[in-house]
Amino acid sequence: MKAKVSPALRDALIGEMGNLRAFGVSLCGDRERADDLVQETLFKAWNHLDSFREGTNLKAWLFTILRNTYFSERRKRRREVEDADGGYAARLSTHPEQHGHMDMQDFREVLVRLPDDQREALILVGAAGFSYEEAADICGCAVGTIKSRVNRARNRLGDMLGLDQEAEEGSPPAVDVAKSA
Amino acid sequence: MRGNDSKGRHKPVRGVKNKMNQDNAIREADGTPKDEMDKGLEPNLQAHIGRHVRAAFDEVAKEPIPDHLLQLLKELERGGDK
Repeated sequence: MKAKVSPALRDALIGEMGNLRAFGVSLCGDRERADDLVQETLFKAWNHLDSFREGTNLKAWLFTILRNTYFSERRKRRREVEDADGGYAARLSTHPEQHGHMDMQDFREVLVRLPDDQREALILVGAAGFSYEEAADICGCAVGTIKSRVNRARNRLGDMLGLDQEAEEGSPPAVDVAKSA
Repeated sequence: MRGNDSKGRHKPVRGVKNKMNQDNAIREADGTPKDEMDKGLEPNLQAHIGRHVRAAFDEVAKEPIPDHLLQLLKELERGGDK
């Protein structure tokens, strides 16, 4: 569709690009690939703007396109490469200096160890600002499923962070001190 | 079937054992999901995680949009589709 896009809609699109990139990076762990995902998302969104009703949730619509693009590519890729996860984790951990302070880098490495569906749910609800209902729409699953994924993701992160911090004797949060005392 | 003495003695013992095993199984079955579902994280830890999840996301979200993406939008606007 060669859309006559209203300036408002165009601005809204640009306004969401930062969020889309962040979501893409959290899915695939790689800025370049995330940019490819955003690019493809923009293409698809632009060519299907007629199916988007202005005034409804543009952000959720764009996020849906991006994650569907990512997961369908990933399914294809998986058939070709077995250890997509291993490759992803390795890629991230080989560039520690890329992201500034170590604390955040540690956290990112823990975050990637979450199963895809849990990480996605946690990011949507915990960082991108979606409600459980919106996240369920985006992922095409039930609200209860999103809630349990978010819970499991948090618990798992809590376990992993607790273990890592004990092992590294870094700066354990007050909670751990309280627990072990 | 309690004709046989030794078996008769044996049976109740096994019965008790089985019952105990069952109780344990039930307790475990109860306990496991509880661990998973109710294990509310310590509020401090949960807040710590929440902050990091947002920070990891925001760090990327606030980066400047790469030129080629903005360029793409301009091209789309000029009426080029795929």
